[in-house]
Amino acid sequence: MLKVLLPTLMLIPTTWLVPGKWLWPTTLLHSLLIALISFTWLINMSEVGWLSLSPYLATDALSTPLLVLTCWLLPLMILASQNHTATEPLNRQRMYITLLTSLQFFLILAFGATEVIMFYVMFEATLIPTLILITRWGNQAERLNAGTYFLFYTLAGSLPLLVALLLLQSNAGSLSLLTLTYSAPTQLPTYGDKLWWAACLLAFLVKMPLYGVHLWLPKAHVEAPVAGSMILAAVLLKLGGYGMMRMLTVLEPLTKELSYPFIIFALWGVIMTGSICLRQTDLKSLIAYSSVSHMGLVVGGILIQTPWGFSGALILMVAHGLTSSALFCLANTNYERTHSRTMVLARGLQMVLPLMTAWWFIASLANLALPPLPNLMGELMIIVSLFNWSWWTLALTGTGTLITAGYSLYMFLMTQRGQLPMHIIALEPSHSREHLLMALHLLPLILLTLKPELIWGWSA
Amino acid sequence: MDVNSKPEFRLSSPSDFFKDLEAQLAAMRQKAADALPGSSWSPLELNPNLPPERADIVIVGGGVVGWSIAYWLKQKERVRGEVKVVVVEKDTTYSQASTVLSAGGIRQQFSLPENIHLSLASADFMRSINDHLGVLNEDPIDLQFNQSGYLFLASEQVAHIMEENYSIQRNVGAKVRLLSPTQLKDKFPWINTDGVVLASYGLENEGWFDPWTLLNAFRRKAVSMGVFQCCGEVTDFKHLTNMVMTADGEHLPLRRIQSVKVQMPNSLEYQPVECAIVVNAAGAFSGKLADMLGIGFGPKNTIAGIPLPVEPRKRYVYVVHCPDGPGLDTPFLIDYSGVYFRREGLGGNFITGTSPEESEEPNTRNLDVDHQFFEDKVWPSLAHRVPAFEKLKVTSAWAGYYDYNTFDQNGIIGIHPLINNMYFATGFSGHGLQHSPAVGRAVAELILDGNFQTLDLSGLGFRRILTQEPMMERNIV
Repeated sequence: MLKVLLPTLMLIPTTWLVPGKWLWPTTLLHSLLIALISFTWLINMSEVGWLSLSPYLATDALSTPLLVLTCWLLPLMILASQNHTATEPLNRQRMYITLLTSLQFFLILAFGATEVIMFYVMFEATLIPTLILITRWGNQAERLNAGTYFLFYTLAGSLPLLVALLLLQSNAGSLSLLTLTYSAPTQLPTYGDKLWWAACLLAFLVKMPLYGVHLWLPKAHVEAPVAGSMILAAVLLKLGGYGMMRMLTVLEPLTKELSYPFIIFALWGVIMTGSICLRQTDLKSLIAYSSVSHMGLVVGGILIQTPWGFSGALILMVAHGLTSSALFCLANTNYERTHSRTMVLARGLQMVLPLMTAWWFIASLANLALPPLPNLMGELMIIVSLFNWSWWTLALTGTGTLITAGYSLYMFLMTQRGQLPMHIIALEPSHSREHLLMALHLLPLILLTLKPELIWGWSA
Repeated sequence: MDVNSKPEFRLSSPSDFFKDLEAQLAAMRQKAADALPGSSWSPLELNPNLPPERADIVIVGGGVVGWSIAYWLKQKERVRGEVKVVVVEKDTTYSQASTVLSAGGIRQQFSLPENIHLSLASADFMRSINDHLGVLNEDPIDLQFNQSGYLFLASEQVAHIMEENYSIQRNVGAKVRLLSPTQLKDKFPWINTDGVVLASYGLENEGWFDPWTLLNAFRRKAVSMGVFQCCGEVTDFKHLTNMVMTADGEHLPLRRIQSVKVQMPNSLEYQPVECAIVVNAAGAFSGKLADMLGIGFGPKNTIAGIPLPVEPRKRYVYVVHCPDGPGLDTPFLIDYSGVYFRREGLGGNFITGTSPEESEEPNTRNLDVDHQFFEDKVWPSLAHRVPAFEKLKVTSAWAGYYDYNTFDQNGIIGIHPLINNMYFATGFSGHGLQHSPAVGRAVAELILDGNFQTLDLSGLGFRRILTQEPMMERNIV
């Protein structure tokens, strides 16, 4: 664990001490090396149990895919941010990279934490660099509103979690994840216990987000700069899923009844946010709502608490992380050229940038869960496990899949096909950097089709 | 002063509060509403007039063409709030704007089919204006559209042009009629048909209307549909330049506007508005706007060296009072000498004027009126044509700018070849107001649909200016 944490920490002095013109190549190379080192966690993935064990940090089959995703994302974020920060003064660029690195650092500590309180502290700590990213580097005046929504929704959800964790600590004596799974199931008869159950999960449901408390997500995603959108979509949402998966072990046996409304909320959210996507005019907003839609399915898979459900949720989380991040990068390439996120003003791009269309195509297909990509595998496992619980969920998940295909195709056709308007005839050609960025997103996704054992968690 | 009396203090006692209870409670409610979310109070003191930091389309120029484009953009969007439109106008009193200083006439008697189509479509729009621009709970719009028609008088030399124009107009669908001198005298006995060989009279969809009402109708409807309006002046553009080599080996600078710098009136404050598209609807001042982007400053004999051929030209309008003048069915009469007049109101007032010779163009530094011009150039021809006007009194006069297209006096609609995202809708040289509804729709179709849909105005694009092939109106004046 230290072999990844220390280089990440040292990336911060690196950004401040490197001479100006070497800033971006150096940080890119450094973060790429960290990502490659993080791959060493993937050995022995089929073992159930903890690796890289220390009293404070450890990895297991659940956290390893998310850790690797986090480490993989930092070079991608640096690659994506290079263009739009190029006009800023050097120290501000350094500050930007420092924020991204500190976010990475907190995320590694969060996913690797063995103590739930440490996870909680890191969960909260990630809010601060993200808030700074959104409010300082966002594009419009609405970013202040977006930052406020983001901060207060998450804080309001996590304050009950703190209380609940302290209660659990005083009851159970220890909150170490290593031993929490072996504790005897407690009697939880009172209404207060039910409230405690809700308090444990609320923060993660807000973070996921569950439909109903999802309002912060479109705002935050749209107003954030591209790196902010990438890390938000790819990893920060998964913090919620990961937290839920860890906490559910101590929440037995209440979950069997109490999760009912939340599963229904989640599935209804899949359909509702999918329908909202169909009438979106802002490209980033469409991708943000599509994130809510996919995460709704993940929430359903987690709350159903079966091996297939957990497995499907984890696969979908990793696959969605890569796909959503890729889509945000594509939307950013559009935005940097036309300075508008409105879809109707940037159509017919296949005529102008055909190679980018290829990436748009693959990313849209991944978004609509085309087989054999892991997106489909994850979705199928969740749908099957929900069906096993209740046949009626098939209506909701089936409609959701249909609408997902609808809006993914809508997004692709709106941006790439159609009449090319006259004002985007002469666009800057695609940079190699952009092609590299897209390849680094989508190639791992395609390769994961061939070895899904890496991301399917405990189901060995 | 009585030393024994205590100084009077006004103590706010509870009884004071209850005396004005209604007002106090209303004030408390107002304070609460301001503090709670949903009110527009913000801790940052922002100038409410500042345009937003980013918009999709910035329309420079808040005249009738600019607001027409804004309205049609909102009308054509398929989802509410699809495009964010900002209209920037530097003078909201419209003291120098061509729109409100116009004589307000509309005619189909052009020789170019595009112009005839534009006028026909605009007249249709204005006849059903409340269906288009009516806003719920607001007063209906009364354009005061007097459909009295235009009457062109042709002399021997230009009669053949009038006949050819007449057949083009009838082909396109305008309702025009040719009159011989006797028929003319029959219909309008107050005309002196001396020298008139043929007259062309518009029977329908021609006449005059109130430009201020049309402007405000467009503005009110567009604002109700969500267009942002901003009072400010565009002083600069931030753009990216790409040098491109054409097939002939010529190097062209292709510019893409990234943001528009809008300066607040009478202030150093400015706001850069990041935008995807800029529409130049600045009328008489479009040339200045194009200069900011370097259009026309390239080497001669290249595309980059061709400037936007729009400049302001001053035209005078005189209001005369003649109680014995022509009656209520007076059309908008245009004589072959260039003099025109039309009825204004019901009290025997008329509006008249003429276009000066090319060599005698008045200077455009300000909008002062030259009354000698009326005595020398307008009155003689006017009195010759309508004898009743020998006895008249000039009650008032004003001057306004034409956004004069020095190239061929017809509008320029379309995108500039060297500025990737600037659309032009300017250079109408005196018939911008009458074409404004149809031009607005055409530009909105260009932007949102990618091409003209209802009327094909590609002939009015930039191509004719680059290839130096003017599309002139075959006028009789």
